[in-house]
Amino acid sequence: MPGALELSEETRERMAELRGLSEKAEAGDAEARKKLRRLVRATSPEIIGRASDIARRAEWVLIKTISAGEPLMEEALEARLALMREEIAGEDASPLEVLLTERVVSCWMLVEHFDVLMAAQLWTGNEKSVSPSYLKHMLRWQESATRRYLAAIKVLVQVRKLLRPSVQINYAEQQVNVAGDLKR
Amino acid sequence: MTLERRNRRLYYYRSVRDGEKVRKVYVGSGEIARISHEGDILRRTGREAEKEQEKEELERLEALAAPVLELSEAAEILARAHLITAGYHRHKGEYRRARSA
Repeated sequence: MPGALELSEETRERMAELRGLSEKAEAGDAEARKKLRRLVRATSPEIIGRASDIARRAEWVLIKTISAGEPLMEEALEARLALMREEIAGEDASPLEVLLTERVVSCWMLVEHFDVLMAAQLWTGNEKSVSPSYLKHMLRWQESATRRYLAAIKVLVQVRKLLRPSVQINYAEQQVNVAGDLKR
Repeated sequence: MTLERRNRRLYYYRSVRDGEKVRKVYVGSGEIARISHEGDILRRTGREAEKEQEKEELERLEALAAPVLELSEAAEILARAHLITAGYHRHKGEYRRARSA
């Protein structure tokens, strides 16, 4: 699966615009909130599409690297990722949730890769010793990947909890709020 | 490290760091000087090669992580924009319904 592993300049510009407007809207700028709403509606599908593309390519590269040319390992990893996507995104995921799921899956792969590398370095039977500065770099990356993975899960949970529509059901004169299981 | 020739004889010294200063430590003369010098050169070359290999490995890992970081950033920005549009704002890392929304 060849292709670019980075977002286009145009998509980055849109992201910068979204970030700027989000900051202003959060600070209470009503005009910025209106603009943000319009921009989100106009650019979301494009950004989601491009970022999802990057996710799939990044996952492909990670699979190739981790499996190191072993077809069985490659297939096992692909199957594992597909299962994770299915389990995490669920049946009625919105496009944004699908993207956030891709992010969780990619981050998980990266964490796994760093964990395996670190374990190999710290294994006492490893004859090839590496320099402390190399280990320090690896540790820092491992920590950063883990933090990013946890943050990815958190954002997905927040989006799912806050952006899924809720329904009010009046049952036996009692009002019950049900959130999250509606098709959008 | 220095290999010096004085009166047709080889003398070998190693440079050793002692805090701020670097001291010259005598290792040996004659055949011992030559063997120690060559041994040190081999060790140094080996260390430099290892360093270069580690640097390449780190660059490879960086390239591997870069798209995941880019994807993370895009997802984060988009999720935030969606949440703010829906009337939430961040407070100590958590999203709350904005009063003005």
